[in-house]
Amino acid sequence: MSVKRNFSNDRTFLIDTTRCTGCRSCQVACKQWNQMKAEETTFFQGEGYQNPAHLSENTLTAVKFIDGWRYGRNEFAFYKEMCMHCNEPACVSVCPVSAFIKTPEGPVIYDAKRCIGCRFCMIACPFGIPKYQWSKGLPLVVKCSGCFSRVKEGLIPACAKACPTAITYGSRQEMINEANRRITAHPGKYMSRIYGLEEAGGTSVLYLSSVPFNELGFKKVTQRPLPSLTWAALRFVPTAFITMGGSLAFISWLTNRKERLRREKEMGEDQKASGKEDGQ
Amino acid sequence: MTAMKKIVSEIQDFHIFLRILIVLVTAGLIAAIARFTFGLGATTNLSDVYPWGLWVSFDVVTAVPLAAGAFVLGAIVHCFHIKKLEPLVRPAIVTGFLGYSLVCLGLLLDLGQPHRGWHIFAYPNLHSPMFEVALCVMSYTTVALLEFLAPVFEKFGFHLPLRFLRTLELPLIVLGAAIATLHQSTIGTFFLIAVDKLHNLWYNPILPLLFWISAVFTGMCIIIIEAVMVHRYLDQPDETELLATLARIIPWFLGIYLVLKVYALFFLSERPLFDRPGLTALFTIEMVAGIIIPLIMFLHKRIRKDSTMQLRAAGLVVMFGLVLNRFNVSMFGMIQKNQQIYYPSAIETIVTIGIIAAHILFFAVVARYFPIFEHHPEDVDYAIPDGFRRVKKPLTIGKPS
Ligand code: SF4
Ligand code: SF4
Repeated sequence: MSVKRNFSNDRTFLIDTTRCTGCRSCQVACKQWNQMKAEETTFFQGEGYQNPAHLSENTLTAVKFIDGWRYGRNEFAFYKEMCMHCNEPACVSVCPVSAFIKTPEGPVIYDAKRCIGCRFCMIACPFGIPKYQWSKGLPLVVKCSGCFSRVKEGLIPACAKACPTAITYGSRQEMINEANRRITAHPGKYMSRIYGLEEAGGTSVLYLSSVPFNELGFKKVTQRPLPSLTWAALRFVPTAFITMGGSLAFISWLTNRKERLRREKEMGEDQKASGKEDGQ
Repeated sequence: MTAMKKIVSEIQDFHIFLRILIVLVTAGLIAAIARFTFGLGATTNLSDVYPWGLWVSFDVVTAVPLAAGAFVLGAIVHCFHIKKLEPLVRPAIVTGFLGYSLVCLGLLLDLGQPHRGWHIFAYPNLHSPMFEVALCVMSYTTVALLEFLAPVFEKFGFHLPLRFLRTLELPLIVLGAAIATLHQSTIGTFFLIAVDKLHNLWYNPILPLLFWISAVFTGMCIIIIEAVMVHRYLDQPDETELLATLARIIPWFLGIYLVLKVYALFFLSERPLFDRPGLTALFTIEMVAGIIIPLIMFLHKRIRKDSTMQLRAAGLVVMFGLVLNRFNVSMFGMIQKNQQIYYPSAIETIVTIGIIAAHILFFAVVARYFPIFEHHPEDVDYAIPDGFRRVKKPLTIGKPS
């Protein structure tokens, strides 16, 4: 693979779930900016007041709720689920038509005009982010674009803009520093871990939490960049092709040669025999 | 009109089994039309939880190794010169060609934007296993088509193209084997990205290698099944002797596969392995019924030489060692704990049955009208001709006397 890019200047979300009030402003802002259709929803489909129950073709980000009796007290915690804008995204590496691009600014964007609809990206994404337009005749993938169109113009993403408390937006290095600062300043309040720092090789969305991440619904994800897993096998492709083709060609040449020599010898003997006959 | 009548009377001549197949294929066609009219979401049970279903698991991931016989046998006969097996090459090539054509069809059915298939060439992504497989499947289908044309030309007596094809025969077989090696293994690479999704029983870094080896032995087993079936039901010559030779090669590959699999399980896989009883059961069935039992069977000379036993052992390998394995990897093993269960919709099922039926039907039809089984090596000179014009021996056409 190419030389590793430095990601520390990528635009990054720092989402402090302890500061999230569950107001869902980000959800609304996302719908408005991206002009996504409303979804008919009911409460208590997911946990508590979570609504809608999960991301879908019409919902690019949603706030997950933990709401109920935990640790001997009534606990509220929220997790804004969205595309993680991985440093080395699985979706980019598996798409056969390069419909996904990791932009130099950080956001991972999707080019709907290229997509052939194989849905490999949905299988590959470790966070289960790309969703499919199952309601359409010629469906496409939908996914948070990190508001690339805004970021390009120097604005911050719609959800980050709308959020009154929890989302900070800036360069990845600054966000990591800020997260570490908060963890050291309030050791009792935070889990001493930043989700997204190492997950899937590092992402441009970082989370802080006061409850264990898996209880908030965060997925346990490998720390290796996912594209390296397939590349470990794919890089042998040219070698395999040449070895297989070359050795088979060589073997055939050998066996054919043997065959021809045998035949020539036979033919020679035949001729000798017939020559003898002629001579007599 | 007369042509129509002729076709109808031909069909009335067919075995009842073939006529049932025609019905199934028609049903599949109608279901496929429904899929294109109403869209994927409406006609399948696919969802964001199961973006890949029966069509990927069977029509692509399973069907590709099922069609592997062509490349395996081609290499055995033409590269290693085990010429005895020559009569089996043609049926294998026909199977391969049909299989791959149907895989292409299955892929198109499954794509959300099938009309954009050509984007693969326009915006290639060398890092994508899907790109690699798509490219290989297309080129292999072309190679298989060229190989398949030989009996067609023979049937119609087109000598010139036939000579041309014969010059190309060996290069095509080598090329075909190389391409097949790539995509058979790369289908395994698909699932390497599904780390944390595919269960540890199947997820390991040598999955592509295992996919390739299992494609090789499956290819041979399919040939056995085909030859035995065709002998029984289509009055073709009995090839049990030849199959026994083929059956001697199979245990090697089964054995290597078993060793690698065990090695991968103990040294290359993450833990825990046996935490999900359902998956453990599937895994055990796959390994015992699909690999270990047939391995033991193929090791016995007596069993190898018995037509019925050949069929049984090969059947086990195909059913459990391959089909179950591919479903385990691409479907069952991907199901997370407490996840809703996917089952294919009626349309998905009918289409897949239609595709299987189409394969058997086309094979039978081709075998009926083209010189597939009458082709014996004694009649044809297989050395590479030194020059294009210097083909000395006459080419055989139709049945040898
Ligand atoms: S979270 Fe998923 S969709 Fe988003 S960049 Fe990472 S791999 Fe791609
Ligand atoms: S569904 Fe579209 S975007 Fe996703 S991998 Fe396939 S072609 Fe690429």
